[in-house]
Amino acid sequence: MALQRDNRWYKDAVIYQLHVRTFSDSNADGIGDFAGLTQRLDYLQELGITAIWLLPFYPSPLRDDGYDIADYTSVHASYGSLEDFKTFLTAAHSRGIRVIIEMVMNHTSDQHPWFKEARSSRENPKRDWYVWSETDTKYQGVPIVFVDTESSNWAWDATSKAYYWHRFFSHQPDLNFDNPAVFEAMWEVMKFWLEMGVDGFRLDAVAFLVEREGTLCENLPETHAIIRELRKRLEISYPGTLLLAEANQWPADVRAYFGDGDEFQAAFHFPLMPRMFMAVKLEDRKPIIEILDQTPEIPDSCQWFIFLRNHDELTLEMVTDVERDYMYDEYAMDKTMRINRGIRRRLAPMMNNDRRRIELLNGLLMSMPGTPIVYYGDEIGMGDNIYLGDRNGVRTPMQWSGRLNAGFSWADPERLYAPVISNAVYGYQAVNVEAQERSDHSLLRWMKSLIQVRNAFRVFSRGTIQFLSPSNHRVLAYVREYNGETVLVVNNLSSTAQAVDLDVQRYKGYVPIEMFGRNLFPRFGGGPYVLTLGPYQFYWFQLRRL
Amino acid sequence: MPEDFSLADDLLRQLMSVGEVDLLVGLSAQTPGSTIGHAVEAIEQSVRQYFVRDRVVIVNVSDGVKGEAGASEADNGNQAAKSVRSPGITSLRTIHRVSADFSNPPSAGIALRTILSAADLLRARACAVVSPATFNITPESIANLLQPIYREKFDFAAPLYTRHKFQGLLARNLLYPMSRAVFGWGIRELYSDEWGFSGRLATFCLNQNVWNEEAIHARPEAWMAISAMSSDYRCCQAFLGEKSQAAKGAGTDIVEALRQTVGTLFWCLETQPGLWLEIDKPREVPTFGPAHDLTLEPSELDRHRIFEMFRSGVTELEPVLHSILAPETHAEIKNMVSLEEGKFRYRTDVWVRTLYDFAASYHHAVIHRNHLIQALAPLYRGMTHSFLVEHADSSPAEMEAANEMLCNEFELQKPYLRERWKTKVEVKS
Repeated sequence: MALQRDNRWYKDAVIYQLHVRTFSDSNADGIGDFAGLTQRLDYLQELGITAIWLLPFYPSPLRDDGYDIADYTSVHASYGSLEDFKTFLTAAHSRGIRVIIEMVMNHTSDQHPWFKEARSSRENPKRDWYVWSETDTKYQGVPIVFVDTESSNWAWDATSKAYYWHRFFSHQPDLNFDNPAVFEAMWEVMKFWLEMGVDGFRLDAVAFLVEREGTLCENLPETHAIIRELRKRLEISYPGTLLLAEANQWPADVRAYFGDGDEFQAAFHFPLMPRMFMAVKLEDRKPIIEILDQTPEIPDSCQWFIFLRNHDELTLEMVTDVERDYMYDEYAMDKTMRINRGIRRRLAPMMNNDRRRIELLNGLLMSMPGTPIVYYGDEIGMGDNIYLGDRNGVRTPMQWSGRLNAGFSWADPERLYAPVISNAVYGYQAVNVEAQERSDHSLLRWMKSLIQVRNAFRVFSRGTIQFLSPSNHRVLAYVREYNGETVLVVNNLSSTAQAVDLDVQRYKGYVPIEMFGRNLFPRFGGGPYVLTLGPYQFYWFQLRRL
Repeated sequence: MPEDFSLADDLLRQLMSVGEVDLLVGLSAQTPGSTIGHAVEAIEQSVRQYFVRDRVVIVNVSDGVKGEAGASEADNGNQAAKSVRSPGITSLRTIHRVSADFSNPPSAGIALRTILSAADLLRARACAVVSPATFNITPESIANLLQPIYREKFDFAAPLYTRHKFQGLLARNLLYPMSRAVFGWGIRELYSDEWGFSGRLATFCLNQNVWNEEAIHARPEAWMAISAMSSDYRCCQAFLGEKSQAAKGAGTDIVEALRQTVGTLFWCLETQPGLWLEIDKPREVPTFGPAHDLTLEPSELDRHRIFEMFRSGVTELEPVLHSILAPETHAEIKNMVSLEEGKFRYRTDVWVRTLYDFAASYHHAVIHRNHLIQALAPLYRGMTHSFLVEHADSSPAEMEAANEMLCNEFELQKPYLRERWKTKVEVKS
């Protein structure tokens, strides 16, 4: 199955996010690698996903989970070689799966040769590749991102006796994009991977590329100019390459990064995610409707990327204080579950392993406007280990089977990069791919059918959305439309059975066809259409004139 | 529940859509044409400030104002609802609004029964009734009514208001001291347009076979309060602030006011004698906020006119009073009527016995009960005159002390009421 030639492939994609370290270990060293990942591609193809988003796999001191890159054009030795990556890439493409990789443009590791040279002397040609100052008083008022660990955005370099600028950890010096050579170097890095065949980049921390006195050094026009130039070059030389923005901001603020369709093609919709969780807990559609009401239109070529969980904490930056407190109280009563401004838990434990709620949330994810991202392991309902520190509790080895190390690795268990989940509820003997593939009614099987239906109808990926306003606020209903395809989605957000009157007068005479079983429901008449839904039940109806 | 009452289908449909709630606020405007927009706004603001996580419904049983409260806050396109939102403050959930459609203004009894039915159906934990026509509803006052029920697990919350010292005289001189002595609970505002109650009290009251009683139609809240007290529900008072200007000017028809309030009080005595006859000492009612708050503006009432109405009324109703009052009480009153205005004082012991005589006669049905209540009007005017004279220059503390003395007098003479209640006095014609 070859890749479809479509420059807007990202709009129809279902993305699977994973870290190569966590997925499958081929050489029994306890760490996942590209060879192991390649062996598991059949699984991903069967799942129905169409793209893989890989977390950083570059050589790195790993002081920030790989976002501290020490070499942009190689693979961390633990994960294999460049050849292994190429093999993986080819194998993925041959299965119709595209590959998106991380690109950290804002900063490097302090172990990167560029920085080593830059700090070696003030006269070094690489000196100006980073942001230096004689004092630590420039750019006063710029927020510190990691307030728990950093007290300033400036760090003292004892070697060259000057301060260098860092928006993240002090071991991650910011690159100086006022120096055109830096941009050209990054362009060379991207070309390196594009020539190999990667399909897109997730650009980390894009808001912070440029610094200017008197500003917050975020979202500056100069930053947008850099993105536009990058996109222009990609369109000319590598059309169809995805640029995905990581900007944890309100949709109205992120909107600028789409430009006129000439900057990023995609950006994460961060505020939607906590509101999906909130809506289910509150049993009220209000949070979802409100945030989507506040989401601006984006150019036709662009797309929001949406997700339930990812490798980081469930971020609560884009909620009010009241909402954050509520989320903590409802989903992270144990303070160990909290980190930074978020919750370090996986989907299934957050849902108390309630299959109906897990399905409902995945149903929302797959039917809302945007490209859905499935975090590895969530398709089988993997649990977490909140005692591992940092966000490592949601980065434990993939649970393939009930055998040694969950089938992830043949290494001694002590050698694993992290212990497998082994408790009675979420442990690998209870929750694993092999067991779920054997059961017709497992979460994994259900996820496959969900993704299959999603992939079969472009209306989900490209359609408009129109919310219905039934008086029952426990029910979230919307119509998606695209090129003559019409789908009605009705979700019961509550834990109890609900009846709802839907105003579908506009579709009088249409026949709703339930999309999973292909069963016909009674034709829409002129009046309200009454539906009853069980707890957390949802329907996807294809509406057809028959 | 008697069969002649049922919720309208439309209301039932709206309630079905709301589902279970934590809080219910009923809007009951008895003034035709009164608007509820500001009330809805204040309630929603209160929810955003004080009950941001909770499931809330506003039930409007005012007539003809469905458009103002008949849609939920978060409905798409509901610009009116959106326009009242304060920036940065939002409730997590939809604030539901439902409206009961009445072609004519419903009686207070029907309105309350509708609200109780909604509370029962929606399994509301804490409820409040407010009247936008008589009260300056603020987010704080709504919270003050609901908090004791919701957070402190009380079942009934009576309001307390900032009062002008000559405002609310019926409550001060009659309803409060008498109900305190009789029922043993010191609730100052037994009759009010705002009060709070628990879901379980709502269900209890709804299931009482009283809803066709005339006494319930006009002022059911006192019955509800007395039901709560007498059935050992937890009662409290909550300070709400100032009554609106509309309320200050209201109640000029004293006969109607007496019929609605004293009539219901006597009816409660009559229907629940087992609950009060043996009670001696009043119980303390927990109070949230100040127990009383008086302002000192001078009275605008015409004392001379009130005295003349007292004298002429007593003279006209001489035969009626003869059949109601005990001979000794009647003699005292006749003696008072003969005095010049400057020397006239309605002594508190006589006032207490007057009321107890009326209550006993109501019980014994010596005359038609409506006429009996009517006959109280001139005597109440006499008491009012004395009060205005005595307290023209009183400080709030002095007034409070006097009120406490009056309450003590009611309690002291309660055996008299018991005696009269049990034994009908034969009046010689």
